[in-house]
Amino acid sequence: MSNKPLPSQLDTPHPNHYEEREAKMFAGLQNPRNFAAQLMNFGLVLSTAFMMWKGLSIVSDSPSPIVVVLSGSMEPAFQRGDLLLLWNRELISETSVGEIVVYNVKDKDIPIVHRVVRKFGHGDKAKFLTKGDNNVADDTELFAKGQDYLERTDIIGSVIAYVPFVGYVTILLSEYPWLKTVMLGIMGLMVVLQRE
Amino acid sequence: MHSSFTRLQNVFGFFTTVAFVLGAFIAATDLGSTRSPSGVIKTDNIQVVKGRPHYYSSKKEEYAIIRFSLEADLSSLFTWNTKQLFVYVTADWTGPGNTNNSAVIWDSIITNPSADHLQNIGPVAMKKLKRSAEGKSIAPERGILKLKNQKPKYQITHPSGKIAETSDVTLKLHYNVQPWVGLLTWNMDKSFGAWNAMKGGISDRFTLPALKSKDSKDKNSTKNKTKSKKP
Repeated sequence: MSNKPLPSQLDTPHPNHYEEREAKMFAGLQNPRNFAAQLMNFGLVLSTAFMMWKGLSIVSDSPSPIVVVLSGSMEPAFQRGDLLLLWNRELISETSVGEIVVYNVKDKDIPIVHRVVRKFGHGDKAKFLTKGDNNVADDTELFAKGQDYLERTDIIGSVIAYVPFVGYVTILLSEYPWLKTVMLGIMGLMVVLQRE
Repeated sequence: MHSSFTRLQNVFGFFTTVAFVLGAFIAATDLGSTRSPSGVIKTDNIQVVKGRPHYYSSKKEEYAIIRFSLEADLSSLFTWNTKQLFVYVTADWTGPGNTNNSAVIWDSIITNPSADHLQNIGPVAMKKLKRSAEGKSIAPERGILKLKNQKPKYQITHPSGKIAETSDVTLKLHYNVQPWVGLLTWNMDKSFGAWNAMKGGISDRFTLPALKSKDSKDKNSTKNKTKSKKP
């Protein structure tokens, strides 16, 4: 029961399967080949997620095709933590009044999800005014100084689909930063402990 | 292979798969339910007055106040996956340079009883709302609207500040179905499967009147200007 596998065992998928359980637990640490494979596996998972995100981004033409609702300004339609799928292509018709759009305001990094209530003009020169269903006033106050209307380029997508609650974990993570450390720790442990 | 971690992972993975499939199934049932919305919308009293965009602004703009009457049957839009219906009325007109303009003048959130508790209303109104559909999770009768000489929620203007005497304005009834899970849907111009296009829902074309002097928000400062415009 040596820790170094025999040369003939290197090519077999389960070189250590006859070992005791305790020895198995840390096999990844003791076998550099296994460890490297696990690292690769972890990288693959990360890059798959990244590529799916970017792929979705290309399909929907939106820099952020999935967003999590952070405020209650669209209640009762959207609560905090709900997941929204965005679409930013004007294939059938232009973005119009009544659509719920996500937009960025200059010099503010938090995107806002509100409904378009006024639209003047069309194409690139269209001017949009938005309002949260649950807010009394429209968004003029939220815009940058001197800005009365949004332009089409401020909008990063219209909401087309809705999944409740799934995004709440990201709110927890940003509100309780220590959870991030705990999650990273658990993920790291899993990479080390997991075999295959 | 059979560590607690992998077991936990398997349980979580199975749970998410089941939840996803169930959600997709619920969302798909929307497509099978017939939608046959209809509405009749008419304008009542229309005024154009001068006012300021907000209290501290010195800018003067023209605002159109369009009263309207609406009779609509949107009851078929309420199903088990309907969280709320957002009903709104827009005024649409073509401006100079063939530009399209559209502005919401009135809107209303109609929740299905399953989402009543999420409404942002006072405790008394909430009690009343909940009692109105006791024991029910779907309330199609809430989709039947009858408004007479309804005051608009929003007074509308144009970025140029001029809106008086605009011609060929129409009022249009719209809706947005907010599901519990799945696709958000709006009223459509064409029928699609079991979903029919809105019957009616557009008013006759009308022209906004000239500026009215008496109802202007601050009479003293605009009196002289507006008086001269009077015919």
